[in-house]
Amino acid sequence: MTDALFAQLIGTCSAAMLLSAVLLVWRRAQAAALPLISLQGLALAGLVAVLGLKQHSPELLGVAVLVLAFKAVVLPLVLVRSSRGERGGAPLINTATSLIAMAALTAIAYAVSAPMASLGTGPTIQAIPVGIALVLYGFLLLVTGRHAIVQLVGFLVIDNGTSTVAFLSSGGVPIIVELGVVLDVLLVILILYVLTGRIRSEFGATDLDDLTELRD
Amino acid sequence: MIDTSLLVQFLLMLLAISVAIVAPARYRALLTGPVVSAIGIAGVVTGWAAVTGQHGSLPVPITIPLGAVTFAPSALGGYFMLVIGAVGAICGIYAIGYVHGPAASRTSWIALAVFVTAMEFVPAAADVVAFLLAWELMAVTSAILVVTEHAQRPAVKTAALWYVAMTQLSFFLVLIGLGILSAGAGSTQFAVFRATHWDAATANLAFVLLVLGFGAKSGIVPLHVWLPRAHPEAPSHVSALMSAAMVKLGIYGAILTSTQFLRADTMWWGVLLLALGTVSAVYGILQASVTSDLKRLLAFSTTENVGLMFLALGAASMLRANGINAVADSAIAACLFLVIAHAAFKTTLFLGAGSILRASGQRDLDLLGGLGSRMPVTSIAFGLAALGAAALPLTAGFVSEWVLLQSLIHGAGATNRILAITMPIAVGAVALTAGLALMTFVKAYGIAFLARPRSEGTSRAKESPISMRIAMLLGAAIVIAMGLTPGLTAHAIALAAGISSVKATGPLTIDLSGVAATLNPGQLLALALVLVLPVVATAAVVARKRPRRAVDLAWGCGGNRLSPRMQYTATSYAEPLSRIFDDSLRPERDVIVTHSTEARYLVDRIQYRQRLSDVFDSRLYTPIISFVERIGASARRLQNGKIHFYLAYSFVAFLVVLVVMSL
Repeated sequence: MTDALFAQLIGTCSAAMLLSAVLLVWRRAQAAALPLISLQGLALAGLVAVLGLKQHSPELLGVAVLVLAFKAVVLPLVLVRSSRGERGGAPLINTATSLIAMAALTAIAYAVSAPMASLGTGPTIQAIPVGIALVLYGFLLLVTGRHAIVQLVGFLVIDNGTSTVAFLSSGGVPIIVELGVVLDVLLVILILYVLTGRIRSEFGATDLDDLTELRD
Repeated sequence: MIDTSLLVQFLLMLLAISVAIVAPARYRALLTGPVVSAIGIAGVVTGWAAVTGQHGSLPVPITIPLGAVTFAPSALGGYFMLVIGAVGAICGIYAIGYVHGPAASRTSWIALAVFVTAMEFVPAAADVVAFLLAWELMAVTSAILVVTEHAQRPAVKTAALWYVAMTQLSFFLVLIGLGILSAGAGSTQFAVFRATHWDAATANLAFVLLVLGFGAKSGIVPLHVWLPRAHPEAPSHVSALMSAAMVKLGIYGAILTSTQFLRADTMWWGVLLLALGTVSAVYGILQASVTSDLKRLLAFSTTENVGLMFLALGAASMLRANGINAVADSAIAACLFLVIAHAAFKTTLFLGAGSILRASGQRDLDLLGGLGSRMPVTSIAFGLAALGAAALPLTAGFVSEWVLLQSLIHGAGATNRILAITMPIAVGAVALTAGLALMTFVKAYGIAFLARPRSEGTSRAKESPISMRIAMLLGAAIVIAMGLTPGLTAHAIALAAGISSVKATGPLTIDLSGVAATLNPGQLLALALVLVLPVVATAAVVARKRPRRAVDLAWGCGGNRLSPRMQYTATSYAEPLSRIFDDSLRPERDVIVTHSTEARYLVDRIQYRQRLSDVFDSRLYTPIISFVERIGASARRLQNGKIHFYLAYSFVAFLVVLVVMSL
């Protein structure tokens, strides 16, 4: 693989992840959220696969398959199951404000990742701000989302962001580490899935605004 | 040998814990008490070995990267281990018969065993980490013990809250102080601290922090507020341990700081210690003399004695700063004498108070009385200890105050102007304190044990079980034994503090060669007998010649129904004092006069009510607490129960961290 092609592919994958996250914030409908999170998982798997091909590392290709299976298929499916029968709710801030906030967060992500530029040069290092931006977008979803499902989506975006930073900055992680992380995330999602079900059966909806007694 | 006996103490603690857990409720006290006592005896043995110059260390392997954790008592630490161990041994025996209700629970016994062990390990610590670990363990377990009876009396919760707040303040100050020293010395080892030459700024800052931290633990004014709250509300054997042993560790810290770590040669350090000590001594005994709650009285008397110890330490610093080393040595010896004497009589007094409380259910002196005939053993033990607390001759209290006064008087002749002014003032303060202490303990003993019972519960009081009697008599015996043979104590002190100008010329005599003074209680006793015997003999002879007296009802102002209400009470006894010191005590008095319905000139009844509050409570702590509460109330707005706000807080915090890291 030539360097130019490698740079192109890294750029494409990162851009796909960033775009899917922006679309997630913009289109708050549940129906749209699930294909988008799946697309993001696909892009992440693509990123790992490109890294694996570049480094001729079969282990990294294995990680790519793992990421593809979990982040693009299993986790979105779990989400689909847990969000069945949910209406998409309006977020706490309107779409225009969200997009402006995202622009600001992207700027911050680029600003704060300046120290990481010292790790080296090349397309992978230049793409690190994308990972940080994903983490910040995920947080934005958590803070502004009104429904428990949106919180789940936000959590997944944060996880994708941290994985992206890990892959880009270290040039790939061992399969055992990635397996551990993925299983952890799956566990958290399952717990939240059960919790969401309980909230719904208790209150009839998963609107977090109803939960205001979280203090002494 | 020391390493083994330290290990033995730790193993005994584990044994006490397992016995407390396994033993059935009926035999728990009988089985655990002796083990707690054994921990104390092991402490005495270890302490004596360390005082006599034996070395040994117990390194504790830990995985946290804090530096070494080693227990290796110095001679001075050994002296405090000795004192604490003895108190622990006596309280362990006492607790067998005393504990009932929640104090007899597994939790309480475990906390007691850990508390005694932790107190013995504090002076054994040879580095900052070991010291702070043992210190905090001691603080936590003592807090558990204070809160024991929270279900019975609501006042316990408040008291425990005050205690925990003050003890954490103390820990915080000590932590920062020792942290500054560690940074300055580049090591956490006490041995390195002793050899370091400090720059003035570090030394001054650390000194102030450590003195306040250790002062808060020992109950120095104005950080004494927890003493009169926690001591009365804790079970009595716990009060005894806290007042006689735990408070001494504050003194240990202060001595360690000023004579070993920083080797105080700065005049104003001594002046600070002396001023804190003088104020505490006078204020403590003043409050003790007017209160009518027996255990509160004892708690304030602790503040007084701790004040005297600080005064002695301050005098030693000031004298040493002026190069008068021999007198300074006897001032240090006075401080250590006070430590052991106070431990002896205050243990006995608190145990006696516990015995009274157990038998009558009362600790208000105005409701006690006539216990002398009902509880003879308690009465004897409490009486002897009260003699010690009043510093009367032939007791440990007298010896310690004699040494203190000797060093203060001989320090007064110095050429330094500050010394020449402060020493006579200190002598005056000690004299005033001694006088008030005498009144206080005459009141405590006289009102509680003499005359007639003033309440139902008191008239039904029975003597306490055998283990409590043994413990109290043991304590009282030590008070008298140390008073009669001060030479033995002086020998231990000279070894512990490494001073040569205080020595014992035989077990009976103490010789302060630095100030050219000797004390021999044996001669004192002989002199007293020579003076008293002829008087007694004459009186006996004269009495035999007289015809037998007819015994009749005492004169009762024409009436013949004498009721206990006609007696002096603790409040009325202290009334002149509270009038004299009206300005500093500021008691609230209500006199309610109810007139007869028939005529305005006839009085039906007069009600007199007096409330004594601590000036430092109302003037210093109340404003601080209300200020903190206002801040707390406004901070509650942040916590509004909405999950989005909580998420936003962490988001903002995350962003701030990111931005700060990239700068």
